[in-house]
Amino acid sequence: MIDMKKIMNAPENYVDDMLRGIYAANPMVKYAEDDLRCYCIAEKRPGKVAIITGGGTGHLPLFLGYVGENMIDGCGVGGVFQSPSAEQIVNVAKEVEAGAGVLFLYGNYTGDIMNFDMAAEILEMDDIQTASIVGADDVLSHADPSVRRGVAGIFFMYKCAGAKAADGGDLEEVLAAAQKAKDNTRTVGFALTPCIIPEIGHPNFELKDGEMAFGMGIHGEPGVWNGPIKTADELAKDSVEEILDDMEVKAGEEVCVLINGLGATSQEELYILSGSVRKELDDRGIKTYRTFVGEYATSMEMAGASISLCRIADEEMKKQIDKPVHTPFYTQV
Amino acid sequence: MAITEIKAEELPALFESVAEVFEEKKELLCQMDAAMGDGDLGLTMSKGYGALPQILRENLDADNPAKMLMKGGMKMSGVVPSTMGTLMSSGLMQGGKMLNGRKTIGASEFADFLTGFAEGIKKRGKCDAGDRTIYDVLEPAQKAAQQAASAGASLPDVAAAALQGAEAGVEATKEMIPRFGKAAVHAAKAKGVEDQGAVAGKCLIEGLLRYIN
Repeated sequence: MIDMKKIMNAPENYVDDMLRGIYAANPMVKYAEDDLRCYCIAEKRPGKVAIITGGGTGHLPLFLGYVGENMIDGCGVGGVFQSPSAEQIVNVAKEVEAGAGVLFLYGNYTGDIMNFDMAAEILEMDDIQTASIVGADDVLSHADPSVRRGVAGIFFMYKCAGAKAADGGDLEEVLAAAQKAKDNTRTVGFALTPCIIPEIGHPNFELKDGEMAFGMGIHGEPGVWNGPIKTADELAKDSVEEILDDMEVKAGEEVCVLINGLGATSQEELYILSGSVRKELDDRGIKTYRTFVGEYATSMEMAGASISLCRIADEEMKKQIDKPVHTPFYTQV
Repeated sequence: MAITEIKAEELPALFESVAEVFEEKKELLCQMDAAMGDGDLGLTMSKGYGALPQILRENLDADNPAKMLMKGGMKMSGVVPSTMGTLMSSGLMQGGKMLNGRKTIGASEFADFLTGFAEGIKKRGKCDAGDRTIYDVLEPAQKAAQQAASAGASLPDVAAAALQGAEAGVEATKEMIPRFGKAAVHAAKAKGVEDQGAVAGKCLIEGLLRYIN
């Protein structure tokens, strides 16, 4: 059984201590209604569609890490792997909405959906228009695309919606930009070790020596198989095959690649994996437009990675992905 | 003393009665839930409805019961974020929404509130009649209430009709097989036993009727 070793204070203060540290280090963000978990951009742009995300703590830089220039405007912060409350989402929305409506953009998880829907109903009462869309890119989580979990691929939805909003798009257009990214993104992930929720103090499951879980979710949801650890080349091959089985990308078409570390995997390993993925795409004549490597959606100290492919549907999407952004956790020039 | 209408300022007191009933039935609901779930239903209902009166007091909006109930429901969901807590909150929100534009709650408004409550549960819970849930009590209750209201019944009589509908609903759940929640795992034990979520729905109506009478 793995021992919990974390740099923290009392486990029950994990989330709020983290938030205090983030606010202290970054004047670009602030909190609303005296609630640390109502995370907002400090200066909003009047007339811009406000994009709000939310979800559990434990996935940095997901979700709050994308609040910043040309990306997202606010985030409801839940407990570790828990949903934020409807009230927190409402408070964030009221703080950051700028007269052009609100897009709720978050991951496909039941608790989050219930709370975001409730928040939308309350905001509607106050004549704040909302639209909602969830990321559901984890192909191995379910055969039915509407049930799939949202994982690292939401990054592309944030980029496209964020760019469209920054460029003056209205709520319908910003939603459409997010939808286009969603339609063209798929992810496969795998874990080598579990993670530990601070207040629980031990992992919820075990992976034996030399064992990995293919298709595991970012909250430790079981994968499609547990078995011996495969090589980077094998994992790249299996993952790219699963993705292309689900989403056709023709030879000559372009994709962006996202190699995402789950929290405890070194950059060395991520680049090895990235090289393997590149080879799989080259062999199929699929052009790689951009490669993103790093931590985009983690699971605390889980070792493992996910591979996302985002098919470039058109020039507009390409420009949106290229648009420079600046948040406390992610900067793209 | 029977009343003919409920004003927005009275909503906290209305739900004090509901909280009272849930406090009285806390043990019973926990016991029922222990057999077919995780044993905390009584605690959740007491906690949620126990907090609701104060939430409503802090969000008083004279002449706007709709807004009070919608906000109250939303804030209650933060207090009891479990499935049943969320369903009750959703019921309150949709019930409140039905009262949009009305300044007080008379006989027909009360029926509409119950109609909305049932709708809210159905929408959020994605359940239907026969699934052996709280919806199987709220749906017949709202139907009975609407029937009475259309016939011109007084507020107390509409509420009494709702309770009758609720009681029939609870009885009917004895023969249903659970599809949702932790009860679904205990499907084999379900026959002949009232569903605990349904009983909780009946408690809600009992509490409302208690204030109205």
